Amino acid sequence: MTPAPYAQTPPAANTTLLEVHDLSVHYGYGAGATKAVQNVSFRLAHGEFVGLVGESGSGKSTLGFALTGLSKPPAHIEKGRILFGGKDIASLDAEQLREQRHGGIAMVLQSGMNALNPVRSIRNHFVDIFRAHGHVDRSRWTARATELIGKVELTPQVLDRFPGELSGGMRQRVSIALALSLEPELMVFDEPTTALDVLVQHAVMNTIIELQKSENFTAILISHDLGIVLESAQRVMVMHEGRIVEDAPARQILENPQADYTRMLLSHYADPRAEVVELPGFADRQQRKAEGASRTEAATHTPTVSPRTLRADQHAMIVENVSKIYPAPRRGEAPVRAVDNVSFTLEPGAALALVGASGSGKSTIAKLITAVEKPTSGRIRFGDLDVGSLNRRHFRRLHRDVQMVFQDPYSALNPLHTVEYALTRPVINFTGLHGTDARRRVLELLDIVGLNPVEEFAAKLPHQLSGGQRQRVVIARALASDPQVIIADEPVSMLDVSLRAGVLALLEDLREQWGVSLLYITHDLLSARVVTDNIMVLNGGAVVETGNTADVLRNPQDDYTIRLLDAIPNPRKVVA
Amino acid sequence: MTSTTAAPRGAESRPPTRPGPTDAAHAPSPIATSLGYVARKLGLFALTLWAAVTVNFLLPRLMPGTPADAALAKLAQNGPVSEATKAAIEAQLGVPTGNIFEQYLAYLHQVVTLDFGISYTFYPQSVGELVSAALPYTLVLVGLVTVVAFVLGTLLGVLAAWKRGTWLDSVPTLVGSFMSAFPYFWTALLLLFFAGYVLRLFPTSGAYGPTAEPNLSFEFFGDALYHGVLPALTILITSLGGWILGMRNTMISTLGDDYVTFAEANGLKPRTIALRYAARNAILPNLTSFGLALGGVVGGSILVEQVFGYPGIGYLLFNAVTNQDYPLMQALFLMITVSVLIANFLVDILYGVLDPRTRR
Repeated sequence: MTPAPYAQTPPAANTTLLEVHDLSVHYGYGAGATKAVQNVSFRLAHGEFVGLVGESGSGKSTLGFALTGLSKPPAHIEKGRILFGGKDIASLDAEQLREQRHGGIAMVLQSGMNALNPVRSIRNHFVDIFRAHGHVDRSRWTARATELIGKVELTPQVLDRFPGELSGGMRQRVSIALALSLEPELMVFDEPTTALDVLVQHAVMNTIIELQKSENFTAILISHDLGIVLESAQRVMVMHEGRIVEDAPARQILENPQADYTRMLLSHYADPRAEVVELPGFADRQQRKAEGASRTEAATHTPTVSPRTLRADQHAMIVENVSKIYPAPRRGEAPVRAVDNVSFTLEPGAALALVGASGSGKSTIAKLITAVEKPTSGRIRFGDLDVGSLNRRHFRRLHRDVQMVFQDPYSALNPLHTVEYALTRPVINFTGLHGTDARRRVLELLDIVGLNPVEEFAAKLPHQLSGGQRQRVVIARALASDPQVIIADEPVSMLDVSLRAGVLALLEDLREQWGVSLLYITHDLLSARVVTDNIMVLNGGAVVETGNTADVLRNPQDDYTIRLLDAIPNPRKVVA
Repeated sequence: MTSTTAAPRGAESRPPTRPGPTDAAHAPSPIATSLGYVARKLGLFALTLWAAVTVNFLLPRLMPGTPADAALAKLAQNGPVSEATKAAIEAQLGVPTGNIFEQYLAYLHQVVTLDFGISYTFYPQSVGELVSAALPYTLVLVGLVTVVAFVLGTLLGVLAAWKRGTWLDSVPTLVGSFMSAFPYFWTALLLLFFAGYVLRLFPTSGAYGPTAEPNLSFEFFGDALYHGVLPALTILITSLGGWILGMRNTMISTLGDDYVTFAEANGLKPRTIALRYAARNAILPNLTSFGLALGGVVGGSILVEQVFGYPGIGYLLFNAVTNQDYPLMQALFLMITVSVLIANFLVDILYGVLDPRTRR
């Protein structure tokens, strides 16, 4: 019944482990069904490491869930076969499916952070699995759990902790160890590192790659990030709109992509350390600068919309020796030094990148500049405003000039209000325009952010928009007050790769046309390279490196900057 | 152009943020955290108890007039009251002596020794006697039934959520919401009419038969049990539906949580997934409602006890209020407050046992 544990079956090369034949997975039935996966066929040999790449909605996770027999209504296998070790997964009953999970197919979920039962200790998670399959003798439970937890580079103490006491990276490692405890022949990793911080992501990915070699399982890595996949997988399947559009060895995908879609995805990757960095819609920054000088002479752009030149003068945002210390989270612990003596000046019309891993203090700086938080020491000046000690009554003056674009466009808009409503509120609040004037301004804003036809977009509700369109609405909302400074906190990290360039180009355009200065907060060094002139690298609340973006990235001095750069998945690095 | 100035820093950067066992290793021992948690909750309990007792002392004193004034006013309706009568009534009811602090200390002493004076209504019985006679009936009847309703409703809710879409789901859900839509007293009246009057299956009032003598014999327990069936059924019927629906709905949402999917992916037994993963987490929010319901046991039984003529706390409270029996009222209000506090304290401790996240 149960297949022999993988350790006893030497991976014979080219013997088929999994065969998917003409598989279609639908959500719902009949004409209204969403065809998430359509006529997918592929074959997996023992010991392969295959990447499954696609953007959101491509059906890659649906396929992953179908392979592991975890599809839940309304998703169902419409047709096709999934042959694993000669048996059709789709035709097994619940108990057979459950039994085959030992020594069969295991899955590590996307949100590994939430994949653990919050009220059960890690040890009990292991015990539950051992008990369910009876494959580990009771006397060896602790020994085996310790061994497994060691394989993912955690210490045995972790066994007695509860999930809430572990960091996101540790929790994802525990999930991997749990999946490993099934002694699976095939591991399906569904976006295993997406929710994690860059450096942690890199470390977890390395663990997965090493485990795949040492434990000899066959792996499918599902990811939206072609970079991560190309770095780890030998073979890549590219998925688009429910179909596999390309299935080829990693090197071939990289050097000679066949499908247009693959080419498009690849075009959005570049090494931020390269001499010339170009993305679709972005010529290299240095070259653009040179051209830009002649262009502005030739034609001073005459905007048809309310010109920001009405404002007499633009101010610099001056941050001087600012620190922010939060009280200790628990008694007996040291206070948290979120921002540690940081100084910088954001000149009018400049673009400055604030780069660092999570917890480096970059979002706290955004909160300080927008007066959401007050600095513990130091000064923040904007024109004649002392931002650090601003009282509530003067917030409006600051917020007219300093606006924020948030990371998550999916939760930044009230789902009950139309785009027009979302934009009309700040227009009325900040500019005093009413009625038809306000409406005209709203349509102008939509035009500026490139949502045409404007009338149509104004009437839409957030759920009718794509992620990229939503982020454009969020940017338009930030522009409503005609601000001098825009603080963009990871504005593209939640978006699909193909949508990122468009939003970045918009930010760039705003700066060039309207002179808005940009504080670009990110962990993504590539996007920092294309939209900013200067960069500040933060670690543990302090600035560790600063300078011209291209210079710093091409010639990093600080160890932390170097590690950040190394953590970037970059397909070309593998081949080079 | 942007000028940036790096803050002065040490030569080397911070240690890597790689996941390591560091934060787990420094966590305090589980036993110490549990003890600390219980101690914190106990402290909070003591503080709120003191506040409640003090408010119970202050409230009557903030009201204008004294109980003696009220009694005199009643008498005055039938003609003038002599000075002697006034003195007699004041002596009988007691007039506070000493300043407010001395009164407070005397009050605290009374509370601690459970001495709440003599009831007006049931003169010459003391309030203490009355309450201790009524309390067991309410605690056993309403308290036990509340616990049973919670346990039974939760189990049915778990079953309904786990077998979602089958008859095990639709029948309890439908019947439960139907029954809980009935008002308390309406269900009580229906039961009285059919089971008590028409079918004569159960007695229609009292906690025990007219000839029974309250003692610890089996006969008496049997008799009390027999008399308790209808009121118990009333409470069960009206409260069961809420527990079923509450548990079913929270469990359906936990069934969609990632840890349940992951448990399924790991091939755990369906029973383990349903009970230890989905239900175990789903029960947590319902515990709060359970605490509130437990707290309401002592005070919230007025209607049922009134309809069934059941000699519990609710019955006593009703009599105390209609007869302006101040000593009895004050003692009962204090008891209701304290029972709510105790119920909340118990639920807090239960939370600590069931949810490791609250122990920190």
